[in-house]
Amino acid sequence: MWLDDPIDRREAVKKILGVTGSLALGSAVAGHLGFSGSAVAGVNPTRFLVEGTGAREGYSIPELVARVFEAAGGMSRFVSKGDVVAVKPNISWARRPAFAATTNPDVLKAVIELCQAAGAKRVRIVDHTIHDPRRCFAITGAASVARQTGAELVYPRSSLMRDMEIRGNRLDVWPVFVPLVEADKLINIPVAKHHSLSTLTLGMKNWIGGVGGSRWSLHQDINQSMVDLAQFFKPTVTLIDAIRIMTRNGPSGGSEADVVEKNVLILSDDPVAADARAALLFGVKPAELGFVKLGQKWGLGSSDFQSLDLKRVSL
Amino acid sequence: MKANHLVRLRRISQSFFLLLFLFLVVASRLPQKVYLQYSPAVSGQQNLTLDRPVGFFFQMDPLVGLSSLISGHALIKGFLWGAGVLLLTLLVGRIFCGFICPFGTIHHLAGALRPSLKGPEMIKANQKSPGQRIKYFLLFMLLVGCLLGLNLSGFMDPISFFFRSMALAVLPGTGAAMQSLFQAMADSHVRALNLLSHAAEELVAPVFGYEPQAYQTGWFIGILFLVTLFMNRVRPRFWCRFLCPLGALLGLFSRFSFLRLQKAEEKCTGCGLCTRHCQGAATPVPGQEWKRTECLACFNCAHVCPENALSFRLGWSFGRNRGPDMGRRAVLGGILAGVSMPFLGRLDGSQAKTSDARLIRPPGALDERDFLTVCQRCGLCMKVCPTNVINPTVGEAGMAGFWTPRLIMSLGYCEYTCTLCGSVCPTGAIRSISGKEKTEKPVRIGSAYVERGRCLPWSGNAPCIVCEEHCPTSPKAIYLRKTVLDTREGKREFQVPFVDLKQCVGCGICEHKCPVKGRAAIRVIAAGETRSLRNRLLL
Repeated sequence: MWLDDPIDRREAVKKILGVTGSLALGSAVAGHLGFSGSAVAGVNPTRFLVEGTGAREGYSIPELVARVFEAAGGMSRFVSKGDVVAVKPNISWARRPAFAATTNPDVLKAVIELCQAAGAKRVRIVDHTIHDPRRCFAITGAASVARQTGAELVYPRSSLMRDMEIRGNRLDVWPVFVPLVEADKLINIPVAKHHSLSTLTLGMKNWIGGVGGSRWSLHQDINQSMVDLAQFFKPTVTLIDAIRIMTRNGPSGGSEADVVEKNVLILSDDPVAADARAALLFGVKPAELGFVKLGQKWGLGSSDFQSLDLKRVSL
Repeated sequence: MKANHLVRLRRISQSFFLLLFLFLVVASRLPQKVYLQYSPAVSGQQNLTLDRPVGFFFQMDPLVGLSSLISGHALIKGFLWGAGVLLLTLLVGRIFCGFICPFGTIHHLAGALRPSLKGPEMIKANQKSPGQRIKYFLLFMLLVGCLLGLNLSGFMDPISFFFRSMALAVLPGTGAAMQSLFQAMADSHVRALNLLSHAAEELVAPVFGYEPQAYQTGWFIGILFLVTLFMNRVRPRFWCRFLCPLGALLGLFSRFSFLRLQKAEEKCTGCGLCTRHCQGAATPVPGQEWKRTECLACFNCAHVCPENALSFRLGWSFGRNRGPDMGRRAVLGGILAGVSMPFLGRLDGSQAKTSDARLIRPPGALDERDFLTVCQRCGLCMKVCPTNVINPTVGEAGMAGFWTPRLIMSLGYCEYTCTLCGSVCPTGAIRSISGKEKTEKPVRIGSAYVERGRCLPWSGNAPCIVCEEHCPTSPKAIYLRKTVLDTREGKREFQVPFVDLKQCVGCGICEHKCPVKGRAAIRVIAAGETRSLRNRLLL
């Protein structure tokens, strides 16, 4: 049947281009073609991690976002003129921003505006939500961000899910939300929160929202599934929103009593290091997180974020 | 006013109201771009609502208002519109049938565009026939049933019938057909077709949505609709003449109307054109008595008469007007049937004893007995539900509750803060509640329970926390405990789910998302629903 068709020619060409492109950039390595990460496992000194903290009362979130990107060399390091950029927030639940179940709309908006200022031709907000998309868009504030910035809010639907070869350790062929792979640049903007199976939902977990199909079965090997997907999507950069974090009742939350204000943003081109750093905000040791360990093992990045080009900004 | 002006006015009015009706059917959904008027910054706990008056035609329908009044002792929202229609009918006859009713218009169209009966056959078909009493039988049956607490009017009410047919059969059917076409195009290797498919999908999605909708018995609702359309080939406006209980009600009210058909017998040449074009079989021909209560006020007879022998006038004619030809048997039969229906409906014990565990009513639904006194089975709540969870019942609510709404968690789930169904319900069978009331009171629609034999971790087969992860309450009604279980490979530790009934609201997202498809390992039953004291679970 047509639904079961594997990836078609056009997408195959795109993917190959994507791989060669990223190789040329010298950024992430173990990839679509599935070669093992053993060759590059360990420290990668060319990678960076920026921690931004809003220390002052009443600091401006957009300014903090801008400063964090500046410290990493500016948005123009990641987004070139004419790029189609897909931003992947976590807006899975129809929850108000105050519950910290979803990416802070102010952070989302600031990132989109930076992309636009860097010359992006089009910015798309892409997330395969769990609750009804219309309600998620409206209630999480993603919709008003789209309206204010002119970014395109992609309505997730079965016609935009295409079976692709993940070539992971655990996942083989899986339906993927197409706008994420068709974009020139991909920016991951997860919210940091609690999760009952993987302990925490950070950057790598956010890619569960980038696929369709029977997502519920991914939980049977959640850590490996997350790493496989993170390896497949390979974001240009990850910005973890820890302005407000949800410390229990995750991932959906629903009570402001579960929420703690941290006023922290973590930006990195190393998805494993970003998650490892964010875990500390919850008092969780990175080594206790299955996906961080597996991510390092499969060469996705380093759990030792101290070894990266580390910068701190504070407002 | 001249007859040709009246006919033109009628056509404009019919087109307007038919289009308005169809527009409101389509608009009965959360718009794709709902965010245009919604801002989380100002809203706090603002509820998402529709900004179109999607229940307008129900408010204008006096049968909906009257049956709810008799049965549920409540005036529906906007009942004055219906009262206005009754007043209009008292003054000038069944203008509603001829000028406004969208269901009448669609039958008028079906019968008039390519009539199947020619010349003399049509004249014969348009003779008044005793079958036209059936609608009075139905009206009396429905109203007497209402008096005894069972409101079945929604089955036959033209607005409910038409809305249900469009929302649950015609639109989803068309949508599914288009979807398979677009999918085939998107699947093609021709780039132009891919792009075209995307453009087409964007265009039709605001009307049909992106995903196919499922309604149980939708096929049957669709067939009934097609049959009523087809019957126009046997008799023009078959539905309006023979079946429509609203038509019967308006017929009763038109008895004293000021509208009169003046017949100049001396001009008549007996050509039969007036009868041939008569929509209501109301004997417009000179020489016989005009049946004012059957007249659908289409004004065709005066319009087509080549001799100008017919003309409509307004005038006081009290006392001379004959009442509708209902037939004593139709009235008595209707009363008898109306008396029996509510009692027959209770024989299944669902009101007095225990109702079906699957009968999960929408959040805010009245207690079962009160619910059945007002629910119109119109399908508005089903159309508006963003997750497609609300479906028409088959047998879950018994004969008395056929086609009333029920939540089927395998098709969708109840969104935790969503209150759309109650906000649009035309008769208040589902109360309009706020998201705050729904989540904080809370309004429970049922309770979840785990079937351990099927559950992946409980049966020792695989780790899984999907139900707990999706549980929307805070703290979560579904909680996990680490348990060591025997498996084939020896002892293993699993996180296994439990349900805390004090927290569970029965939203069903756990059942909907459970990886055990078809018959989930965690399921919601109606026990514990707030609306019913009898069904209460915890003290």
